[in-house]
Amino acid sequence: MDLLLHSLPLLARGTITTVYLSAAAVVLATVLGIVLALLQLYGGIVLRALVEVYLYVVRGVPLLVLLFAMYYALPYANVRIEPVTGGILVIGIYFGAFMTEVFRAAVLSVPKGQWEAARAVGLTTPWILRDVVLAQAVRMAGPPFINTCVMVVKGTSLVAIIGLADVTYVGKQIVERTLAPFEIFGAVALVYFVICFALSRVGRYLEGRVNYAS
Amino acid sequence: MSIDFSFLTRVAPILAEGLSTTIWLALPAMLLAALWGVVVVMGLLSRSRPLAAISRSYVEVVRNTPVLVQMFFIFFGSGYAGYPVSGFVAGLLALVLQNGAYAAEIYRGGIRAVTQRLAEAGLALGLTPRRVFRIVVLPLAVRKVIPPLANQGVLIIKDTSLVATISVAELTFHARLLADRTAAVFEIFFTLALFYLALTAVFSGGMRLLERRLRIA
Repeated sequence: MDLLLHSLPLLARGTITTVYLSAAAVVLATVLGIVLALLQLYGGIVLRALVEVYLYVVRGVPLLVLLFAMYYALPYANVRIEPVTGGILVIGIYFGAFMTEVFRAAVLSVPKGQWEAARAVGLTTPWILRDVVLAQAVRMAGPPFINTCVMVVKGTSLVAIIGLADVTYVGKQIVERTLAPFEIFGAVALVYFVICFALSRVGRYLEGRVNYAS
Repeated sequence: MSIDFSFLTRVAPILAEGLSTTIWLALPAMLLAALWGVVVVMGLLSRSRPLAAISRSYVEVVRNTPVLVQMFFIFFGSGYAGYPVSGFVAGLLALVLQNGAYAAEIYRGGIRAVTQRLAEAGLALGLTPRRVFRIVVLPLAVRKVIPPLANQGVLIIKDTSLVATISVAELTFHARLLADRTAAVFEIFFTLALFYLALTAVFSGGMRLLERRLRIA
């Protein structure tokens, strides 16, 4: 118990890093996901192929490998980048693929008849996209979006392996000094649990709203 | 920065060694997670309140914490408790615990997706509830469940890379050693990515075949 009290400030600092990384990566992944989903659905054949390649690579390669590639390879390419920024970029790009799937599925869930109906009342494509399709897709995307956010938060734990001081890294450092794995990793797990469980609850709430709407 | 492609052919055999460990971790992890998921979903759908509550809490705890932290917890914790397990076992255990919970949720979704009407039709024909489940609900649910299970399998394959951090000599572990020793980082990580791409492609291809096989004409 004493040990936990002493570790608290360190764990708190790690938690801040975890939250910051998660938030930044979620924003990046969401923007990427929306843009790429729209490109995949409405883009030309070249753009569509590029998105397809990106999705294929990210679906098949572990996040850890991408992080290592960034960490080891960029210095050789003479690219200097802050480790935190690099971590956010890699995690954002990785989960951007998951977000693309989320938004693509949401847009596709709007029935085709609505396009025809909107066109029949004289709306033009950009308006249909904005007022009819995306307005509904955003609702549909809610629950899977939250699920992906939970995955992002959990995924940020991997930055501990490349030496960023997130809560997992801090926990491991403390365990190596204090030999109290149950208390410390338990506390670390609790941090993730609180963040992710709160997110899941929001997801559950949104799910209820979607059902209500349909 | 230049890429020496002849180096790829020298890196590949060393990585291939790690590949077998990766496969031997991923396969049992998938099978055990799929089985453990059955146990957990029986708990989730159980009529006994306490059992359902315990299963639900287990699923929530495991799904809302990172598998890496679970691996550390088991790996370092088991040593501290006096029953040290190898990195391989700790990794396998964490993967099964985590993905078993996801599998259980997938099964639950599959069972739910079979409409009430079909089950009622079965009951109307005079089948017992148990038999309705066995010959109406289950065969349909199994088919519903294969694509999401395949997705989960791909995630398992990718997550096996995490055991590199608890010193299991699989693909990523070997690649990292090579990168430290040779500085040919582009070639190494490029080859490593190809290995994982091939592995996941073969696996999802196989699952798609299975899906087509089981499809009801």
